[in-house]
Amino acid sequence: MILAIKDGRVITMAGPVLERATVLIEDGKIRSVGPGTGIPEGAQVIDAAGKVVMPGIMDAHTHIGVHEDGLGWEGADGNECTDPATPQVRALDGINPEDMAFEDVRAAGITACTSAPGSGNVLGGEGVVIKTFGKTVDQMFVRVWGMKAAFGENPKRIYREQKKMPTTRMGTAAILRENLVKAQNYLIKLEAGEKDPDKLPERDLKMEALVRVLRREHPLRAHAHRADDIVTAIRIAEEFGIKVSIEHCTEGHKIAGYLAEKGVPCVVGPSMTGREKVELQNLTFETAGILARAGVKIALMTDHPVIPLQYLPICAGLAIRSGLDEEDALKAITINAAEIMGVADRMGSIEPGKDADVIVLSGSPFELMTTVQYTLINGRVVYEVK
Amino acid sequence: MLAITNAKVLTITKGTVENGTVLVEAGKIVALGGPGLAIPAGSEVIDAGGRMLTPGIIDAHAHVSIWEEGLGWEGDDVNELTDPLTPHVRAIDAINPDELGLKDAVKGGITAIWSAPGSGNIIGGQGVAMKTYGKIMDKMILNTLGLKAALGENPKRVYGFQKKAPSTRMGSAAILREAFVKAQNYMRKIEKGQKDPEKAPERDIRLEPIVSVLKGEQYLRMHAHRADDIMTAIRVSEEFAFKVSIEHCTEGHKIADELAKRNIPVVIGPTLGARSKIELRDKTFKTPAICVKAGVKISLMTDHPVIPVHYLPLCAGFAVKEGLAEDEAFRAITINPAELLGIAGRLGSIEPGKDADLVLWNGHPMEVKGNVEMTMVDGQVVYRKGCCA
Repeated sequence: MILAIKDGRVITMAGPVLERATVLIEDGKIRSVGPGTGIPEGAQVIDAAGKVVMPGIMDAHTHIGVHEDGLGWEGADGNECTDPATPQVRALDGINPEDMAFEDVRAAGITACTSAPGSGNVLGGEGVVIKTFGKTVDQMFVRVWGMKAAFGENPKRIYREQKKMPTTRMGTAAILRENLVKAQNYLIKLEAGEKDPDKLPERDLKMEALVRVLRREHPLRAHAHRADDIVTAIRIAEEFGIKVSIEHCTEGHKIAGYLAEKGVPCVVGPSMTGREKVELQNLTFETAGILARAGVKIALMTDHPVIPLQYLPICAGLAIRSGLDEEDALKAITINAAEIMGVADRMGSIEPGKDADVIVLSGSPFELMTTVQYTLINGRVVYEVK
Repeated sequence: MLAITNAKVLTITKGTVENGTVLVEAGKIVALGGPGLAIPAGSEVIDAGGRMLTPGIIDAHAHVSIWEEGLGWEGDDVNELTDPLTPHVRAIDAINPDELGLKDAVKGGITAIWSAPGSGNIIGGQGVAMKTYGKIMDKMILNTLGLKAALGENPKRVYGFQKKAPSTRMGSAAILREAFVKAQNYMRKIEKGQKDPEKAPERDIRLEPIVSVLKGEQYLRMHAHRADDIMTAIRVSEEFAFKVSIEHCTEGHKIADELAKRNIPVVIGPTLGARSKIELRDKTFKTPAICVKAGVKISLMTDHPVIPVHYLPLCAGFAVKEGLAEDEAFRAITINPAELLGIAGRLGSIEPGKDADLVLWNGHPMEVKGNVEMTMVDGQVVYRKGCCA
């Protein structure tokens, strides 16, 4: 079965915008894209004349399905705040595909996102990249990606109330370091066990999760608002030679040059909120533009449900209004997000061979009045405007 | 090249140069001389107008920016009071360069500090010697030496209330000793592991800082007010043969000879405050003079935010009023703390080759009306009051 989206203005994110171009989709993948593409006989056709066609929008940092909409504690599975180091927990096990938010999200053209544990713990657990359509979470699952870590006020607020470590920023850093050192010790034993099975240590889920970080299989995704907390995250990542991304990055504009020099990707947001904590005092929509101009790779986040995920393109629009280049805004919600989420080989642009996660819009994604006409995930129409 | 001319230069280590000139290039002091010193053509010139030029003032013991001003718990990162032994926590991870106290420090001519964990724990964590001006902590660090420890009322108050050890001075000393014994055991395993890797122990980041003290790489910086607590600190340091400095040293005047004969450096203060605890009953501004007369090398502290950091020169002034020689008072806020902190190769005096961290004063630094006209860090003017062209 071939599907053709014809005659649209195609923003591929992999080259110039193509006018009156056609995207051919087969077996869930993009087969071809171009103005001269012929439509095979028998293909199903979506007429996109006068419309914008672009890759499905992606949010690199959410808690969708983990912090469920319209529920109380029953649907709150985002923070296992009983121990400041829970690297062994997995967002995958907390996501409900029937969370009512997914329907809103598909209607807004958002086709994939990271969903991750929250920021109550120093080590919060493993995040997951999912598509926003599926009956079971295993159908939505793309890959496990990112070990959530948190700096600043949240962990020390939570454990201060419980009279446990960490009650200070120093304590937070020490817990992270100590766990990474333990994982290094465990890794040494694992490597010894590869040569001599008698030396193999017992399985340890916490340590296994951290060993994946030490082996650079995926990054530490470090929740950090204040500039000093961001710098602490980078300091510790460098000490252990691990990959890191900065999540929220609220004061990133103060140290944009440093972030660029370190080559650390940043996921900025949620900016469309109040400054309800001390560490948010310097929250501004200008951050994204300042970082992008300094040469930092940025994505944008809603931090759903902090901002409902369907408003990600509007957040991008507000960032444009505060100085972000429009091209950088497009990247931030497509290809950059895909790269930061470790799925750029499959998503983030309209290119032959990639997943057919494609949306058709009435106009610019950044305009309030624009409506989504079609959302396709894996070549399947999962939303169609009525 | 930058030239500061027509200054009364207090070098600290080489006397005072009247009508002096200091040449600065690439962040360093490159020359010092009288009015005859040639100023290279094209130099930027700052005419000091006869004002006093000192090296940047150094506070040897403060909690600037770990204990942030104008905030509640959100900015309070000074004491990790969940375990009396937290040698593995590090001040560097809690310092916010964009903090009010650091800005006051720069305006007050304080260009370097030792900022450290508090005194709630027996071993509180690793302090940091740092410059007060900068945006990125990692670029402000001079070194990360000085392991904070505490005796006396604070730890036994904190943990006594939690119904945990220590609830007595005996308990505090026992916890300290036990930590050092564990570190000795660990050190022995490390040494064995160097000969036979099979015997190497697992890395333990709680013991590593104590091993570093045992090896003499850094001081144990021991909070102790009462004379008996000071003597306990000395006793334990001699048992394990490590370097100790006495922090606060409130009753140091009672045992100045004991400190002098062992060459133990002390950091006195915060004297410009109330006697808010029993162990502060004998607090007096006479302590610095008595210690110096006995031959003790002293530094002074504000313990910021206990006393705001920019009042350090005034604290020195009060010590002078109570008998401390003025040149000793200057040393106690410049070269002596630099030596204790292990940064005297770069800071603490005006000498060619050292960092161009300089302060130009309108009036005398130790007088209430003495004002900072200009603060320079790494050759860069980072604060200027306005009058000096």
